[in-house]
Amino acid sequence: MSMMQRHNKASAGVRVRVELFGMARLVCGCPALELQLHDDTTLADVARALAIACPALRGVALTTEGTGLLESYTVNLNGHTFVTETGVHLQPGDTLLLFSSQAGG
Amino acid sequence: MFGYHGKLLRIDLTTQRTTWDPLDADVLQRFLGGVGLGTYLLYTYCPPGIEPFDPANPLIFVGSPLVGTRLTTSSKFAVLTKSPLTGCIGDALSSSFLATELKKTGCDALLVTGKSPFPCLLVLQDGVAAFLDATPYLGLSTTETEHEIKVRLGRQTRVACIGPAGERLVRYASITNDGGRQAARTGPGAVMGSKNLKAIAVHGTHTVPVFAADALQTIGTSLTQRSLGPATEKYRTLGTLANTAVFNRLGTLPTHNFQRSTFDSTEQVSGETFHQRHFVTNAHCANCTIGCEHILTTIDSGPKAQGRLEYESAFALGSLVGVADANTVIRAATLCDELGMDTISAGGTIAWAMECFEKGLLTAADTNGLVLRFGNAEALLECLKLIGARHGIGDLLAEGSHRAAQRLGHGTAAWAMHVKGLEMPGYEPRSLKTMALGLAVSTRGACHNRSSAYEADFSSRVDRLRAEAERGRLTMEGEDFSAVLDSLIWCKFLRKAFTDFYAESAAIYTHVTGWPMTAAALQQAGERINTLKKLFNIREGWRQEDDTLPPRVLTETLPTGMVQGIGLSKVDLDMMIQGYYHARGWTTEGLIPEQKLHDLALLDLVQRFD
Repeated sequence: MSMMQRHNKASAGVRVRVELFGMARLVCGCPALELQLHDDTTLADVARALAIACPALRGVALTTEGTGLLESYTVNLNGHTFVTETGVHLQPGDTLLLFSSQAGG
Repeated sequence: MFGYHGKLLRIDLTTQRTTWDPLDADVLQRFLGGVGLGTYLLYTYCPPGIEPFDPANPLIFVGSPLVGTRLTTSSKFAVLTKSPLTGCIGDALSSSFLATELKKTGCDALLVTGKSPFPCLLVLQDGVAAFLDATPYLGLSTTETEHEIKVRLGRQTRVACIGPAGERLVRYASITNDGGRQAARTGPGAVMGSKNLKAIAVHGTHTVPVFAADALQTIGTSLTQRSLGPATEKYRTLGTLANTAVFNRLGTLPTHNFQRSTFDSTEQVSGETFHQRHFVTNAHCANCTIGCEHILTTIDSGPKAQGRLEYESAFALGSLVGVADANTVIRAATLCDELGMDTISAGGTIAWAMECFEKGLLTAADTNGLVLRFGNAEALLECLKLIGARHGIGDLLAEGSHRAAQRLGHGTAAWAMHVKGLEMPGYEPRSLKTMALGLAVSTRGACHNRSSAYEADFSSRVDRLRAEAERGRLTMEGEDFSAVLDSLIWCKFLRKAFTDFYAESAAIYTHVTGWPMTAAALQQAGERINTLKKLFNIREGWRQEDDTLPPRVLTETLPTGMVQGIGLSKVDLDMMIQGYYHARGWTTEGLIPEQKLHDLALLDLVQRFD
């Protein structure tokens, strides 16, 4: 089943918390956002939703068009797995973490 | 010769004799420069089995073929010696103008042995050495020392010096250059102090031509452009301090001497908070376009302190010792820099002492009256001063957590958080399993930088909470990558700016030196360098049981945060270590087969010096 087909099947979607770190937090002025996302979500879906919720993230963590993540940021699901281009299945209560892709020191 | 002088300058402080030795093309190509060439020189010139404070222990400063070019981040040097903290190979990197000035004095490496009969300021002018009386500088901080020497010898002079901690042989003392840059881990400043060498002042006029200047400029321009892009965004904005809040959220922020991996007061000492409230400006090393240094200042009514702050210092003098006051963290890091000592080992050793105090194994009678409890900011600052002076409890803590625990006894070694004597960095190994392996097998002790094994844990490549034998290969690859990075020497923060690190670095090496170099040969050089580091440790008494982690990591599970209940068993660690030995082609005992030495062109070297 393709991701698009899964999107079409998922009508209501899920509400998730997105925690922000680094410059993303500073430009948003808050540590976290609440987003409504499809339960099968790709990195691009997350980026588009973030661009709407907080336009200041464009050019900081998101592309200026707001359609994708900048290379310098990454999205992690619940502190365990990284959201990739091919998508991830979200459950109610999930948390996404938006932080720098440059790990460590 | 292009890129290199082909010369080693040896100076014996006892006899004040200067010797120039040739460095053959074969050696330079096999070991590159920096940490690699330094490892070769240490293996060659360090008499086997000597004590680190023996005058015969060489203190080696090594540049690289890239030093003196305009390549971004290329102004770096390595310092190598037998570590007084670990008894193993000690290597540390530093940056900026001293690197270029050392090369301009006419050598690729400076090797200092002996012990001066008087406190010495070694002056190198175009390779000519003068031995001046450094008595006027004794007791001065690193900043004061550098300032006074520049007043005396001229502003163009570049200075490497030790502070009071190095003079008193604090085993994790640093060597400081260019206004606060530190070669600190593994304690090279203590070896410098043991030689009665307060400072080295360098000035030179020699230049080294590069082989293909136009080609080098083309690739250098491209690299500079990439250094300003997304690959370095974190370092240019919040710096490594951005780690703190993320690590806390992921349960990887060592807290209260590794008793847990989350810190309730993280927000007060996070990178975001430092940036909003304490940020003054960004600063650059010489020849660097990234500008990762974040200069921070105190904003309370206490004594003013201002300086650069990195995550490792902020963790070691923050969550690790339970201190949640950002002003104190800045003050403590600045104090370490001025005294000239490694922030990680200082914080790690004090954290051990705090746990001893809270468990009643140290009392106020032992600690000069300090109530050495987690979170006591004033006690932290006073303790650092006592260590720098080796006064009272400071004399014990100046030995590092491993030796201090041995001396105090009563089971306190169970929470001395070190590997091979080197205090642990700010990565909780139980919730970062690849990093756990990297820390356990590192030739440097508990070092995150010589493997960068955490990179796998912070990626989609692995499940960071699960131990697997395959992590051995990832750790080996990270070590070999780092060895090349640290030998050419590139700044670690540039590493993601390369499209193909080995191929681009090989091309650059050829443009600089004129010698053919391939990506595969460069990668093999990384393996060769790491193998020779291990050979040095074996020669100096390494045992298989030294490749391990502190007892706490292997017996206690993490109690808080999203990693609550996560641990690391000795069985799992040993399984990963065997995976590492296997990936390296070593025996199950961690020894290196003769065929491997032959394959890496190390056999002759080993046979010559063993």
